[in-house]
Amino acid sequence: MVVSKMNKDAQMRAAINQKLIETGERERLKELLRAKLIECGWKDQLKAHCKEVIKEKGLEHVTVDDLVAEITPKGRALVPDSVKKELLQRIRTFLAQHASL
Amino acid sequence: MKMEEMSLSGLDNSKLEAIAQEIYADLVEDSCLGFCFEVHRAVKCGYFFLDDTDPDSMKDFEIVDQPGLDIFGQVFNQWKSKECVCPNCSRSIAASRFAPHLEKCLGMGRNSSRIANRRIANSNNMNKSESDQEDNDDINDNDWSYGSEKKAKKRKSDKLWYLPFQNPNSPRRSKSLKHKNGFSVCTSASNTLPLLFSSSGELSNSDPFKYSHSTGISYETLGPEELRSLLTTQCGVISEHTKKMCTRSLRCPQHTDEQRRTVRIYFLGPSAVLPEVDSALDDGGFDMADSQALLSRLQWDGSSDLSPSDSGSSKTSENQGWGLGTNSSESRKTKKKKSHLSLVGATSALGSSKKKKPKPPAPPTPSIYDDIN
Repeated sequence: MVVSKMNKDAQMRAAINQKLIETGERERLKELLRAKLIECGWKDQLKAHCKEVIKEKGLEHVTVDDLVAEITPKGRALVPDSVKKELLQRIRTFLAQHASL
Repeated sequence: MKMEEMSLSGLDNSKLEAIAQEIYADLVEDSCLGFCFEVHRAVKCGYFFLDDTDPDSMKDFEIVDQPGLDIFGQVFNQWKSKECVCPNCSRSIAASRFAPHLEKCLGMGRNSSRIANRRIANSNNMNKSESDQEDNDDINDNDWSYGSEKKAKKRKSDKLWYLPFQNPNSPRRSKSLKHKNGFSVCTSASNTLPLLFSSSGELSNSDPFKYSHSTGISYETLGPEELRSLLTTQCGVISEHTKKMCTRSLRCPQHTDEQRRTVRIYFLGPSAVLPEVDSALDDGGFDMADSQALLSRLQWDGSSDLSPSDSGSSKTSENQGWGLGTNSSESRKTKKKKSHLSLVGATSALGSSKKKKPKPPAPPTPSIYDDIN
C-alpha cells in the first residue's frame, strides 16, 4: 500500500516534469530565472564569492565539483524573495492548468 | 496517461505546493550549475580575473555624484562663457554667435558678399589705385554690343526728360536713382547733360555688380585738379549703376568714345575732348554753323591747359575741332528728337540756341571751366 503510493507519487512527478519539458515551460522558466538573477545582482554577488573561493584554493586546483559544492548553497540563499515568489507563482499556475485537465 | 492526469487532478493543495517548491529548487540548482560551469571555464581559460583592477586605480575612476559636476567630476557648463576673437574685425564674440558673425564679417553668402565688396571698393577708392587702369578683362563681355547703342539712346532720352530738376548734391538724389531701371542716372550726375552717361554698354548690362564696384571712382569726391588728371589718363565714363567713374584706360572697350567725350564736356567744358575721335564722324546731322561756333570757341580756349594734349596721348589739338564738331552735332541730334530738351549741357545749348530758348538758360560751361580760364 505504502509502496504503491510512493510509486504513484514518483509517477506523478515524472509526468509533471515530462509535461514541463514538452510544453517548453521549463525552458521559459529557466530563462526567466536567469534574467531575473542577473538583474538583481545575484550573479555579481556569486562571482565575488567565487573569486574568494578560487583564491583560497589556488587557480590550478579548482574543479567543478568543488565549485558546485561551494557555490550552490550560497546561490540558493542569495535568490531574492521577489524572484522566488514570482517563479513559484508561475509554477503554480502551470500546475493548476494541467491538473484541471 | 489519462489515468495519471486523473490522479493529478485528485491531488490536494499541499501536495501541489510541495511539487512547485521542488520544481523551483530544481531550477535554481540548474542556474547555479550553469554559473559554476561558466566560472570554471573562465578560470581554466584564464580570463576570470581579467576585469579585476587594484583598488587604488579603482578610486581614480569612481563615479562622482555632486551637484554641478558630471560623473567625471568636471563642470559641465563651462563652455557657455567661451568667447572667440574675430580674425577680421578683432572683436570678441560669443562662441555660439561666432559663425553667423564670421559669415557677415568676411562676406560669405549673397548679400554679405555684396556688402563686403562695396566695403572693399570704397577702401580702394580712398587709395585711388590705378593698377587696374589697363584692365581689359571685360573685353569679352556679352553685355557690350554696338548694335544696342541707338536703341538704348532713344529709350534713355525718352525717359530721362521727365525727371524733376534736382540739385546734384541734394539728398533726394539717391532715392531717384532707384526707379526706372537704371535710366535715372542723369539726376545723379547732372540735369544738364543726359548724354553724359553711357548708352551702349551700361544699358544692356544685366549684371550691375560685375565690374563697376571694383573699378569705379566716385566723382563727387574729386576736386577739379584731380578730375582733370583723371580724365586725361582714364576712361572716366560714369556708370549708371554705381555712379562711379570708369578707371580703365582711354581705350577701354566698355564705353564708347562718345561717352568719354560727353563726360569730359560735362566736367571740363567743351574744349576738353578725347585725344582720338574717329567713330562718331558718320553722323549725318553735322551742322556747319555749330561747328563754326565751336571752332571759334576752341581758338578762344586755345591756351587752356586742360586739353587732353598734355596727357601724353598721341593725338593733339588738330583733332579737337573735329571732336567738338561731332560732339555738338551729336547733342543737336538728341535735341531735335526732343524739342523740350531744355537742360542739355554746354554744347547742346550752344548748338540749339538759334532754334529755341532753353527754359533755364544753362551756362555754356560748367564752373570748372570758368576756373581754368
